[in-house]
Amino acid sequence: MEKYFDINYLWGAIPQLAPFLWITLVVAALAVIFGSLLGLVIAVFKLSKSKILQFLANVYITIMRCTPSVVLLFLVYYGVPAFADYFFGIYLQDVETGVFVVITFSLQFAAMMAEVIRSAYQAIDKGQYEAAVSVGLTPFQAYRRIIFPQAFIVALPNFGNGLIAVLQEGALAYTIGFIDIVGKANLIIANNFNTHAFEIYIALAVFYWILSVAIEKFFGLLEKMFSKGQRSLKTS
Amino acid sequence: MDSSFINIEFLIDTFFVALSGVPIALLVTVVSMAIALPIGFFLALTRINEIPVLNWFTKVYVSFVRGTPVIIQIFVLYSVIPLILTGIFEKYKIDYPIYEINPLWYAFVIFSFNTAAILVEVFRSALKTVNQGQLEAAYSVGLTTAQSYRRIIIPQMLVTAMPNLCTATINLIKATSLGYAISLQEITLKAKVAANVGYNYLEAYIDIFIVYMILCMIVEYLFKLFEKRLSRYKYATA
Repeated sequence: MEKYFDINYLWGAIPQLAPFLWITLVVAALAVIFGSLLGLVIAVFKLSKSKILQFLANVYITIMRCTPSVVLLFLVYYGVPAFADYFFGIYLQDVETGVFVVITFSLQFAAMMAEVIRSAYQAIDKGQYEAAVSVGLTPFQAYRRIIFPQAFIVALPNFGNGLIAVLQEGALAYTIGFIDIVGKANLIIANNFNTHAFEIYIALAVFYWILSVAIEKFFGLLEKMFSKGQRSLKTS
Repeated sequence: MDSSFINIEFLIDTFFVALSGVPIALLVTVVSMAIALPIGFFLALTRINEIPVLNWFTKVYVSFVRGTPVIIQIFVLYSVIPLILTGIFEKYKIDYPIYEINPLWYAFVIFSFNTAAILVEVFRSALKTVNQGQLEAAYSVGLTTAQSYRRIIIPQMLVTAMPNLCTATINLIKATSLGYAISLQEITLKAKVAANVGYNYLEAYIDIFIVYMILCMIVEYLFKLFEKRLSRYKYATA
C-alpha cells in the first residue's frame, strides 16, 4: 500500500519551488515601492487641513481595509482592462498578469502605509519642527534632517508588519493565473495527479514561515540599531 | 464582448446571489470566533504565566499562523485533515465516506485554528496592560483565581482588547472569502458561480465587494457600540 505521507516529495519540492521565490519577492518589493509612494500621498491628504482631502483619504483606507485581497485582485484583474477599454479605448487584455498583481497589492499596501506614515508623523512632537525652523533651517531641511529620521524609527515596526502582510497576501496571486511560488506548487501537485499535495503545501508553508520570521527579526535588529541614538538623546 | 461597460441587470440580480452567501460567511465567522476565543485566552494565559511546555508550544503555533498566508494554512489543513481522519477511521473501523464531509466542518476547523493564534497575541497584549496589583488586590479580599479573573481582570482586559478584537473579526470575515478553496458556499463562490454562465466576472466582483463593504461597516459599528458599553465604568470613577 502507498504511504500517506512521503517525505521525499517534500525534499523534492524545495529545489523546484526555490527559483519561484524570486518572483514572489519581486512582486512584493514592487508593491512596497509603489504602495509606499501612494501611501505617502494618502497620508498627506489625511493630514491636510482640507476636509474633502481628508474624507477622500478616509474613504480609500476604509475601502481597502474592508475588501478581501482575493476580491480586490479580481476587481483589478477584470476591472482595469474593461475600464481602460470602455472609457479610453485602450486594449489591455494582453498585459502580463503580474502587472495586475503588482497594482492590487500596491493599492492595498498604500492603505496600510498611509496609516503607518500618519501615526509616525503625529508621534513626533511639534516643537521639533519649530525648534528646527527657529535655528534657521528651511521647512524642507527641517523635515529631511529632523522630522524624517525620528518618524522613520517610529514607523519601522509597523512597516515591517506591513511588509510581512503584503508578502502573505501576495500568495493569492495564483488565483488569477500568476505563476509565483504558490502557482508553481499547484503545478507540481497537478503533475503528481493531485496526490501528495500535503507534502508540497508543507514545503510552501516552510518557505513563507522562514521568510516572515527572517523579516521580523531583521526589523527588530534595525529598530535596535536606529533607536540607539534615540535613547541617549532622551537621557541627556 | 458586448458594448456596455457594466451589465446593470446582471449586477442587481447577482447582488442578491452574493447576499445569499452572507449567512454561511457569518456562521463560519461566529462559530470560529466562539471556538477561538476560549482557546486563545487560555493559550495567552500559558504565555503570560510561562507554563513550561505549553508556553513553547503556543509560541511555535502563533509564529506559524502569523508567518504563513491564510490560503496556505487552508491548503495544508484541507489536505492533512482527511489523512488523519482516514487513519482514525481505519483504526476504529468506522465506515464513513471522508470525501463527503460538509466543507463547513473544515471551515470551522481551519478558521478557528487561524483565529485562535491571532487572539493569543490580542489577549496577551491586553492582559499585560492590566496592573499586576489588581490580581493581588483581588486575592487579598479573598477571591479565588477564577473569580478574580472573571470579575476583575477580564472586564478590564476586554476594554483594551476590543479594537484588536474588531480587527480580528473583520480579518476573519475577509478570510472566509478564501472558502472557495474548500468549495464552501459563501459570498465569493456563489457570485462567481453565477458569473460563470455569461462571463460577467466584473459585475460579480463588484457585487461581492459591496457585500463585504456593508458587512464590514456593520461589524465595525457594532464593535464601537460594544466598546462604549464596556468602557462605561472606566472614566466615570476616575
